[in-house]
Amino acid sequence: MPAETHVEQGPVDRAYVLNLVRDRLADILEIEPSSIQEGDSFADDLDADSLALIELVEALEEELGERSVGFRIEDEDLADLKTVRDAVDYVVSKLG
Amino acid sequence: MLPIAVDAMGGDYAPDEIVKGAIAAAEELDVPVVLVGPAAQLGDTGGLPIIEASEVIAMDADPGSSVRKMKDSTLVRAAEAVRDGRASAMVSAGNTGATMASALLRMGRIKGVQRPAIATPIPVPNSPTPTVLLDAGANAECSAEWLVQFAQMGAVFAKQRYGISQPKVGLLSIGEEPTKGNPLVKETHSLLATGEWIGSTGAQFVGNVEGRDIMTDEVDVVVTDGFTGNVALKTLEGALKGLIGALLAAFDSSDEARAASAQLWPSLLPLYAAMDPENTGGAMLLGVDGVCIISHGSSSATAMVNAIRVARDMVVGDVVSHLATAIRPN
Repeated sequence: MPAETHVEQGPVDRAYVLNLVRDRLADILEIEPSSIQEGDSFADDLDADSLALIELVEALEEELGERSVGFRIEDEDLADLKTVRDAVDYVVSKLG
Repeated sequence: MLPIAVDAMGGDYAPDEIVKGAIAAAEELDVPVVLVGPAAQLGDTGGLPIIEASEVIAMDADPGSSVRKMKDSTLVRAAEAVRDGRASAMVSAGNTGATMASALLRMGRIKGVQRPAIATPIPVPNSPTPTVLLDAGANAECSAEWLVQFAQMGAVFAKQRYGISQPKVGLLSIGEEPTKGNPLVKETHSLLATGEWIGSTGAQFVGNVEGRDIMTDEVDVVVTDGFTGNVALKTLEGALKGLIGALLAAFDSSDEARAASAQLWPSLLPLYAAMDPENTGGAMLLGVDGVCIISHGSSSATAMVNAIRVARDMVVGDVVSHLATAIRPN
């Protein structure tokens, strides 16, 4: 990957992404990170509505944009992200 | 005091009137102001500093997707300046939805606030203080819990902005009786009636109020969902505009009427000034972690000076801290 398009601070593993999603979501929902399980549904288990999801996406783009220039979560993909696992898998796949 | 970030490209008369207003505000109010926009398009800024922003969200653009896609827009950069401690407040006469989305996504919500609301002052004839109407359009559909928070935030705003020590808070409905209204209003009424939400706000719940009560001294804060609030606001604006137009036409209808109106003008002008949206200072978005003032889309330089004045007063009065205390006392 050309240096000018990819600013990396080390490999991004799945565990890191999961912790990041969990921490940011906990902050948005004002709950303990430990109460968020990977299999939790945003709507049914966490009571996270569309606004919370957008706030999560913005936080992830800001954080991960520093590691990977141009990192972006497409709005049309948001509807497919139903669970915490969906979000983690999506972000990991985007980061390549 | 940190500078107030003014969206130089927001509004029908941007950038000229906005820049003119910003320059005037910096001089008249002795407050630091920073313009946000593409420097090359702003003309003579009177030496005011500029935060560069290359994109402008159009007045008719979809707010959410615009804020997400246009990371270098004036609104997003203004909100970031507040978030990052480079500005004390943001002011915009641009796309209202995008202003809200920028503030929400960049400044974030005050801890405990479920949804921010737009608080708009509605002038009350012959009264020194207006009625605060919220939510005036941020949330089309609301829960009862959100409306209770609107009551708390509206009371704090009325106290801090207008010096009303014990704001009378009313719930907008179709009748005064607690049994009147839709399910949301009835549920909200039962929550507000407990008084458990009052805390540090000093508010008093006066029960249900009707649309005709908004422009009276019966109430200081009127709480409703954003859809109803926006309908009420636009109805009042249209009615006032129609009435004033009709009065002016009547005054001009004959030589006798013109002569009589010349006698009346000195009495009528203060009332007209009080009703003029240019003088209200705009609306405030309550519930985000920073001061965000939303000025009317057709704002002139005068309106911008007044909006910047409100921003300054809300920063100096630390209204965000008062809101945080009201929402989460501990």
